[in-house]
Amino acid sequence: MAIGVKVMKRPEGSPSYLRASLRGMALTFRHLIDPRKVTMQYPDEKWELSKRWRGTHRMEVHADGRPKCVACGLCPTICPSNCIRLVPGEDDQGNRYPIVYEIDEFRCIFCGMCQEVCPVEAIHVGQDYENAEFTRERFVYDLDRLMAQDHPVTQLWDPADPLSE
Amino acid sequence: MAANEPKNTVTCTINGRTIEVPKGTRIIEAAEQLGVGIPHYCYHPGLSAPAMCRMCLVEIEGAPKLAPACVTEVADGQSILTESPKAREAREGVLEFYLVNHPLDCPICDQAGECKLQDYVAAEGRKHGRTIEPKRIFGRDDFGGDILYYGNRCIMCTRCVRFMREVAQDDRLCVVQRGNRSVIDTFFRDGLENSPWAGNIVDICPVGALVSKDFLHKARVWDLDRYPSICPNCSQGCNITIDTRDDRVMRLKPRANPDVNSYWMCDYGRLRYEWINREDRLETPLVRNDDGVLADASWHDAALVLIERLKALRGTAPVVIVGSPVHANEDLGLLGRVGDLLGGGERVFRSARAEDEVVLPGFPKLARRRDLAANVRGAELFGYRRVGGDDGRGGLDGLSTAGAVLIVLGDELLDVPETFGQDAAFFVYMGEYPSPAMRNAHLVLPVTTFAEQEGTFTNYEGRVQRFWPARHAPGLARPAWQVLGVVLAGLEDTTAPATAGDAFLRLGEHFAELAGLSYAVIGTRGALINEPVDLIAATSTEVR
Repeated sequence: MAIGVKVMKRPEGSPSYLRASLRGMALTFRHLIDPRKVTMQYPDEKWELSKRWRGTHRMEVHADGRPKCVACGLCPTICPSNCIRLVPGEDDQGNRYPIVYEIDEFRCIFCGMCQEVCPVEAIHVGQDYENAEFTRERFVYDLDRLMAQDHPVTQLWDPADPLSE
Repeated sequence: MAANEPKNTVTCTINGRTIEVPKGTRIIEAAEQLGVGIPHYCYHPGLSAPAMCRMCLVEIEGAPKLAPACVTEVADGQSILTESPKAREAREGVLEFYLVNHPLDCPICDQAGECKLQDYVAAEGRKHGRTIEPKRIFGRDDFGGDILYYGNRCIMCTRCVRFMREVAQDDRLCVVQRGNRSVIDTFFRDGLENSPWAGNIVDICPVGALVSKDFLHKARVWDLDRYPSICPNCSQGCNITIDTRDDRVMRLKPRANPDVNSYWMCDYGRLRYEWINREDRLETPLVRNDDGVLADASWHDAALVLIERLKALRGTAPVVIVGSPVHANEDLGLLGRVGDLLGGGERVFRSARAEDEVVLPGFPKLARRRDLAANVRGAELFGYRRVGGDDGRGGLDGLSTAGAVLIVLGDELLDVPETFGQDAAFFVYMGEYPSPAMRNAHLVLPVTTFAEQEGTFTNYEGRVQRFWPARHAPGLARPAWQVLGVVLAGLEDTTAPATAGDAFLRLGEHFAELAGLSYAVIGTRGALINEPVDLIAATSTEVR
């Protein structure tokens, strides 16, 4: 069976676009006077994100400025896109801590499993979407950068109802 | 069997399966033979059993109480249940008691992933703990040597105490205090410092109470790739696994072999692995070109130069071969064969020697031997002569290399004079690392270390044991047997061996001691040269 091809009827000669232009202008004018505003004035106004929005990461810190991370290695283990690099070490107080902790946000698929698996609630995905950069290298967030993030973190579950009952 | 002979086996049923075992076999061992694992902490096949962890309690039908499987001997007609509700309930209770004081610090514990407490609790522990009391806190203690002790994690199985008492016979550890305040401690100021066997207590600790400082926080054990191998650091030939992560060796662990090292290995061997990770490697063959410069070449070109030159010099030039006792039998043997084809000549090797042996008193077969390289016996077998001092240096001055074919395999030649090999007709340097001695070489061939190839070592008593590759070879480096196999094919007009097993069979053709041996015969437990192989013994599972 041959493939059916729908042949459109095209206007012949040189058509006038006057009527179509007027129709378009009328639509614009109607929106101009419509009291319902749908356009977001983006840099001035921002969307309120869902509590479950998963954006770029943030590392929680202790009161004394140390990262909460204990370098257990669960997030690099569970990460499906293998975007976390971790080198554990021991600080001067004998605590296990990450010497190197890097997340490649380009590789990240923002599944949030790192936050879910973290035993000390250190690494979080965050409610943030403004992360344009001028170079690719800047998308590899190191530990200092992750600790410096100040956007709110994602709520993967409702704290009032943790088991979704 | 005659009717009046006393029967020395007993028959019992474990979980409904019948097994006949020798008299005196303990339940845990009989179950092991059936493939039934009974959870245990204090029992270790290489140590005595105090039956104090109460994990291996099993139900014996008709007996009033549960019995510890690690000390109860199997009796005729017994019916043993390891998974009955009573046994399971007992284990669940014991595990709950362990978790009263065991901290849940698995995220920062080096043992997580190979921890028996973690495994058993995950398998059959309670879902939630019921204790509300605070846990006791001891902090951590530096035991000296390579050992750190985390008292909080300790479950008092006392395997470490018994190892030091029974096997190392160097009673430096003991339990102090009683009840839930008991901890393991040392009673001398120097702790485990300078104990040559202390590293084994880290292996046998079922939890993360004893950890290695060298491995501390280095890698998570579930990230490690484990490869069976042979310890290269002395001629004892302990069976080990090489644990690597991202192609880097992270640690060496002993592998059980009742004929060589039981379950143990010494700290000297255990901690000397960094050289396997060396980054400064030869990665491509180098051929001296017309300008007198060593230039990169393909293996094809390098092999052609090698074979052509050797053919031209065959039978006319004297042959001098310097081998290395950290290379496999296949490498050294094929090189020896190449030497024979070129007209014999001299073969030497250099090897560091310690002043004395360090014997493990509880298993005297195991010692850190004087020769600090794995294949000294193999090298001697293939006609290499030991030269140089006990520090592995010197001894090459006496070699007359004038007009000779000089082949160096694996010896770094760090102490030779600048003129070494200058007068040789053809100087081939086969090595892992760039060496200043390469300045006079006509041909440089990159070869792999033992950790990057398959092969065999012959230990001090003539036991040939296999090892397997654990890392990727850097660049174009090839196993020496592969290179030498091609050379042999060029000189002898045969085919080159395709595998290490093939190369080993070739050795048997030329060296009578290895005749009759093959990789299949060697298996995983090794085989003695010049000794009929008892295949039944070689396949038995008895390990003590």
